[in-house]
Amino acid sequence: MSSQLEFLKSLPYFENLDDEVIARISQDVLELSFARGQVLFLEDEPCRGLYVVKAGRIRVFKTSPEGREQVMLIAQPGDSFNDVPVFDGGPNPATAAALDASVVYLVPRGTMISLVADCPAALAVVKLFAGRLRHLTSVVEDLSFRSVVGRLAKLLLDLAVVEDGPAPVRQLTQDEMAAMVGTVRDVIGRALRQIEREGAIKIEKHRILVVAPGKLREML
Amino acid sequence: MITGIPVIDPEACDACGSCVEWCPTGAVGIVDGKAVIVSPRDCYYCTDCEKVCPAGAVKCPFSIVLVQNKPEGNTEKPE
Ligand code: SF4
Ligand code: SF4
Repeated sequence: MSSQLEFLKSLPYFENLDDEVIARISQDVLELSFARGQVLFLEDEPCRGLYVVKAGRIRVFKTSPEGREQVMLIAQPGDSFNDVPVFDGGPNPATAAALDASVVYLVPRGTMISLVADCPAALAVVKLFAGRLRHLTSVVEDLSFRSVVGRLAKLLLDLAVVEDGPAPVRQLTQDEMAAMVGTVRDVIGRALRQIEREGAIKIEKHRILVVAPGKLREML
Repeated sequence: MITGIPVIDPEACDACGSCVEWCPTGAVGIVDGKAVIVSPRDCYYCTDCEKVCPAGAVKCPFSIVLVQNKPEGNTEKPE
């Protein structure tokens, strides 16, 4: 009980609250356990509240129309997630599933809102900002994705050599490509598929075939 | 050496089984306490095993190959 209070108090959301307010929040908090791989909630479902990882790791991801997953966040102990819909009242922006056996605290949406409810102006501001954050996140995702595609296109152009030619063929994992263009692995996976869709490369198992260097150049 | 199947470092693998659980084709298995590609023909190089390995024991390298579509003429070399 007191360890839960201590834990809640250590979170950025609650660190400035009086002990009695934290004690009240603590009464509403649900402690939930999930087995590895189990889904906590789905994208586009109504939001139940703010989640905080107590133990384990939670993978927060979006699923593209082709059914591929894009990881937004791996939440570690002490990290909160699903903040945006708590405050803008919209649906969950992503799906969450347990990467390991995990324990999370669920602070119900009503409890979070009650912290600002006695100040309607603050509530309105927080709601507006959360809505803008939701929108900006999608804009930034789009922009940064396009710039990753450009940098990855340049990397492939620079490195691609013919097989059995004078220079040895370079081999890179997606993690290595990610480090070289300043992004994360999942984005590299999406960017490679995008470049393939545009007809510049063909991915054949472990080979990335640059079939149209001119098209790669157009992406820079 | 690139063989077209994921490379698993037996030193780093602690046999947690994540890759076995995630592999969509059953190409990975645990043999004698280490993950190995037990069925190379089933592996279609989705790289999920590399992604999920918490020990960083799996590597799925890609060869970056320039394909020259036109066998002659068109020497479109940058230099
Ligand atoms: S690359 Fe995909 S198909 Fe091949 S062993 Fe790994 S998980 Fe299985
Ligand atoms: S996920 Fe990694 S550590 Fe776990 S069994 Fe597979 S190779 Fe070994």
